[in-house]
Amino acid sequence: MRRTIPDAASPDAPLALVTRTGNALRLAALDAQAQSQGLVAGMTLADARARCPTLATCAADPEADARELDRLAVAMRRFTPMVALDPPDGLILDISGCAHLFGGEKALARAARREAGYASRCGFGPNATAARALARHGGKNSDVHALPVTALDLDDRALAALRRAGLRTIGDLARRPMSMIAARFGEQTVTRLRQILGEAASPIAPRRAETPIRAHARFPEPIARTDDVMDVIEHLLTEAARQMEERRIGGRRFLVRLIRSDGARRDLAIETAQPVRDPAAVLRLLRERIDTLADPIDPGFGFDSVHLAVPWTEPLADRQRSLDGGAQEAAREGVTALIDRLGVRLGPQRIRRLQPRDRHLPEAAQRLVPAAQAAAAGWPPTDGRPPRPLLLFDPPQSVAVIAGVPDGPPQRFRWRGRLHEVVLAEGPERIAAEWWRRQGGHHAGGAGRTRDYYRIEDSDGRRYWMFRHGLFGQEADIGWYLHGLFA
Amino acid sequence: MPQQPAPLPALEAGQLHEIHAEGEDRAAALAFALAMGVFAPDGAIVALRVPGRSRLPTLFSGDGLALLGLDPARLTLVEPASEIDMLRAGLDAARCAGVAAVLIESEGRFADYDLTASRRLVLAAEASRACVILLRVDAEPRSSAARTRWTVASAPSVPLEADAPGWPAIDAELLRCRGGPAGTRWRLIWDMDHGCFRDAARFQPQWETMPGAVVPFLGLRADAADDPRRRVA
Repeated sequence: MRRTIPDAASPDAPLALVTRTGNALRLAALDAQAQSQGLVAGMTLADARARCPTLATCAADPEADARELDRLAVAMRRFTPMVALDPPDGLILDISGCAHLFGGEKALARAARREAGYASRCGFGPNATAARALARHGGKNSDVHALPVTALDLDDRALAALRRAGLRTIGDLARRPMSMIAARFGEQTVTRLRQILGEAASPIAPRRAETPIRAHARFPEPIARTDDVMDVIEHLLTEAARQMEERRIGGRRFLVRLIRSDGARRDLAIETAQPVRDPAAVLRLLRERIDTLADPIDPGFGFDSVHLAVPWTEPLADRQRSLDGGAQEAAREGVTALIDRLGVRLGPQRIRRLQPRDRHLPEAAQRLVPAAQAAAAGWPPTDGRPPRPLLLFDPPQSVAVIAGVPDGPPQRFRWRGRLHEVVLAEGPERIAAEWWRRQGGHHAGGAGRTRDYYRIEDSDGRRYWMFRHGLFGQEADIGWYLHGLFA
Repeated sequence: MPQQPAPLPALEAGQLHEIHAEGEDRAAALAFALAMGVFAPDGAIVALRVPGRSRLPTLFSGDGLALLGLDPARLTLVEPASEIDMLRAGLDAARCAGVAAVLIESEGRFADYDLTASRRLVLAAEASRACVILLRVDAEPRSSAARTRWTVASAPSVPLEADAPGWPAIDAELLRCRGGPAGTRWRLIWDMDHGCFRDAARFQPQWETMPGAVVPFLGLRADAADDPRRRVA
């Protein structure tokens, strides 16, 4: 399967992916149109441009290709459970016993190629090596004996030796005694030949899908009491915990589906900050979820079945408790459980933590992230830096200020209808705008306004952090803002 | 002979404390709560408030917390939509092992906070040994089961050199204290060297260094101070 890249400027221009090998840019892959212009993979970009000036190029990204191939392999599970990768650009599907479900081999291949959505070639063979050789070297014929010897994927020396001996096709080679071939062209040639002819096994290593973590219970008679349902859910959670323990994973997301006897479905979902598999902890969160439901669960004539799925899992190794009885771990787990519980009840966006950011502007130097996603990050040391207020106004409060000299500290200011007399002032601490983050910020005046911060104390003994937004002589209508309260 | 002021009681762990303050003194009240509270080391600090109820939209500043000697990573901010949710969440936090302090900020009347609610908080705090502090901004004191009740206001600081505002200074008055005398006032000054508030009557700050906002007059490069070749005998 050949990859093709969208977003080329004109859809009908020949397209090539280029990669840097050594010191030259070479073509790594081509579309059909570029091939029809006589370009081949491995050619330098300069040569290709000389032949075909309209060639559109993109950088080759082998990792993205590998990811895409993985995605395709998963998509191909629709057709057969046995899908193996043939890197960098092939997939091998074992369709024994599957083809009739899709109306025959040809129809299956058509459906699979349509599903893949790329330009592709396919080949059928009695074994994986033969199919691969037919797909890559076969063209229209389906007889392995007519394939050129290059289909054996041998190294250059062996290929040159075969060509010199006048052996052009696999059929030529197959008619010769194997011992002679082994003696003249190496053991590997015989192995490949026997695999293609089906005389030796050519196993594939299919990717197996991970079985999802699931548990369900069906009842002979519908049950209606919530307590009974919770008991069943606890039982299912224990079952899921056993499955997860075998694989050393824990769940981050749990989904409970209650199916009522009249067919109505009710889904309950919870997410946790850390992977868990303890049934009691999950059950507590589920109870919390049920308590906060806007419309309570209506059992109607009772529930027929309860299904539990754990769609999001993460590795969770068994941890050893420390020697002091695990008091510290218990405390940490207690806080995590509290965050989960409050997150389920109030919404995860309402439980947040402060995290530092490497930015200059005070309001951008920190951000609030949901506590469930917060990574433990050390706060940068504050020694040697000018003091910062305990509370920041968000947004800064506009104030009217009288200053002694235009670029001096404020002398009095009016805020929320009250006049404050400034007794003590210190500054300015100049914080420039982040010009490197702005389009055209490196031009004069394009960066945004510089702020001059003052620490001031008014006659009531309150300390504020105030800044002048802009520089005198450079900007008009300069404003003053309160940006924080000191203790 | 002037009477020696009483020693300052701390905000003990496992108890409920109330702090009353005006809106513009919120930073002072928070600093008092965070610095005077007896918190278990490494325990989480849960701060709760209802963002919609606040007249002044403010955020905690991590750098400001670090100046008070608290690691901002310990702080978890909970912002419920209503005061009753906040009380419930605060109660859950107070019951949780591993939480060192619960800081509930309310503004205005806070009708849901009554004797029963405060008693619940006290019981939760006693069980988990968390320090529960209720900050009541612009509110009338109300009878409750709290151990202590304070009013806190900003106070003029001791100026640094060149008329710069000094380190935090606050006026704290103990309105009520269970099983102890009340009505005492203290002027508290932040002791930068030890990272705590000190009674101004017993502590005279000695400013040796200038604050960071002014470029210090250093004869040598700041990192050369440890260089033995450059040290002046």
